[in-house]
Amino acid sequence: MTSIILLSIFGIINLFVGFMKSKRILLPLSLLFLAVVFGANLFSWNEAQSYFNHMLTIDNYAVAFTGIMVLATLLLLPFSQHYIEEANENLAEFYSLLLFSLVGAIMMVSYENMLMLFIGIEILSIAMYVLAGSDKRRLRSNEAALKYFLMGAFFTGVLLFGIVLIYGATGSFYLTDIAATAAVNDGTVNAMFTLGLLLLVIGISFKISAAPFHFWAPDVYEGTPTLFTSYMSTVVKIAGVAAFYKLMAAAFAASYAAWFPTLIAITVLTLVVGNIGAVVQTNFKRMLAYSSVSHAGYLLMALVAFNERSDASILFYSLSYALATIVAFAVLQYVSEQRNGDETYAAFNGLGKTNPLLAFAMTVAMCSLSGIPLTAGFFGKLFVFTAVVQDARLMWLVVVAVLMAAVGIYYYFKVVIAMYMQPAADAAKIRIGSFASFMLIFITVFTILLGIAPALVSDLL
Amino acid sequence: MTESLFYFLASLTLLCALMVVISRNPVHSVLFLIITFFTISGHYILLNAQFLAAVNIIVYAGAIMVLFLFVIMFLNMNKDSESRVKTSTLSKFAGTIAGGLLFVIMVAAVKDTTIAGYNADTFTSQTGMVETLGAVLFTQYLLPFELASVLFLVAMVGAVMLGKKEAGEQHF
Repeated sequence: MTSIILLSIFGIINLFVGFMKSKRILLPLSLLFLAVVFGANLFSWNEAQSYFNHMLTIDNYAVAFTGIMVLATLLLLPFSQHYIEEANENLAEFYSLLLFSLVGAIMMVSYENMLMLFIGIEILSIAMYVLAGSDKRRLRSNEAALKYFLMGAFFTGVLLFGIVLIYGATGSFYLTDIAATAAVNDGTVNAMFTLGLLLLVIGISFKISAAPFHFWAPDVYEGTPTLFTSYMSTVVKIAGVAAFYKLMAAAFAASYAAWFPTLIAITVLTLVVGNIGAVVQTNFKRMLAYSSVSHAGYLLMALVAFNERSDASILFYSLSYALATIVAFAVLQYVSEQRNGDETYAAFNGLGKTNPLLAFAMTVAMCSLSGIPLTAGFFGKLFVFTAVVQDARLMWLVVVAVLMAAVGIYYYFKVVIAMYMQPAADAAKIRIGSFASFMLIFITVFTILLGIAPALVSDLL
Repeated sequence: MTESLFYFLASLTLLCALMVVISRNPVHSVLFLIITFFTISGHYILLNAQFLAAVNIIVYAGAIMVLFLFVIMFLNMNKDSESRVKTSTLSKFAGTIAGGLLFVIMVAAVKDTTIAGYNADTFTSQTGMVETLGAVLFTQYLLPFELASVLFLVAMVGAVMLGKKEAGEQHF
């Protein structure tokens, strides 16, 4: 609750600071705000409390996911340096929208009432629609915003229809009341309840870009300015998956048999479509979009497993995925700026010679995304797979996932090969600020540290 | 009397909603949408929710529909420009089948469900009144009500940001 209030106030302060002539203070100020929120959030650890007639509950689950999302925002903001250098007029609005959208994200991991879930999703989505179109001079950015907005509005309608049908069947918006009604009616209250559940699953699957509701992701991710793509594929996805798990665990645990077949189909389809789709891409940013679809698949696997290990493995996977994705998008941003907006694999040629730091950070990030040992991504996948094999009937799902992870290694290493084995087309060294390079080193070390000592985070929940 | 009024309003709503989709002329679509909103407001009045009915007319039929009409007139959409958008036969076919299936599932779900009635003794007729609504909004639903302001702030900041003219901006 404190973090929601703080973020709302800080967002407004940020807007007012934006009136000042010099925009240089905005970045340190936003980082300070996020650090304060991160600290304030930790005070609620082990002190579960419900607020405002049980509208939202801040328990350890909410604190842990809030922490990860605030941390991800904190780590990706330093890469907005180029907006400051070009003296972008809307810088204050960008930072404020990110802070406000975090309010929505926190609502999504701590809600107890469907209304809160809906408003949370809307705050997060509307901020994203705007940020997707924030580069007004580029046609692709405009296209991304329009596409995301139209699709998002449509699927918000689907989600809302689901909530309404659930309300009609159970007479309540509260997760506990829905669970109570479902439990006494052996999981399926009536046909309307099941239909509502299905529509809810579809609505949230769209938000986390799970196949077959992923079709917007590649175009939107490609058109959106890279900084906000990075935010979209980390914070928005983590909030979506965390909200999904909370919804299923708190309200529909008794209805497991009703949603399990649908969700397992979505999971397998997401894994296959995401990984196979990424193989054929020549544009690195588009590949990352498909890769984010495939990672939604791995996260959904932990949800499908639905046992006591699920929440911890979703948490660890989210963190490892966020760290690697932030680095990948940050390096892409520096490289494509240097190469006149070229975002293909060829843009990375010879980066290992000209910028060893960028190349090394990128290599560690790619290893983490593909799940190579000694990086956080390895343990992320390991925890998800161990959660799934608790149920022996789901062994085949792990086999599919391992095969798809092998496919993943192929396309993630394309860029590593380009960086170290191809001759440089443009021998100019890419200039990065000292703070941004410090951040890159920090995230890389953090990724390796989690790959050596995963217990730092994995035992939290 | 109320029942026949309900059926009259319901059939009018469905008919007008269908016409919104079918109409070739976008201005006709908008006009049909306005009738749809009015009939839905009629439903709210039948449910004794006067405030909701008034808000629905003011906000939707009033403000939003005017905006719709403005945009359509700005874009100057007429029959010629509409016919340029081509949809393949295959996607029309697929869309019809998918939509039809969803419709069948919906109808089946509603048919299978026995909606719980209400208890005439404990029912309070004042539920939909402004006083009750206000009391609920400022007590039980205070948090979502306040946080909706963040949602509107985000939308407002976004609209100003996107609408502001910048140096060197292109027009598409």
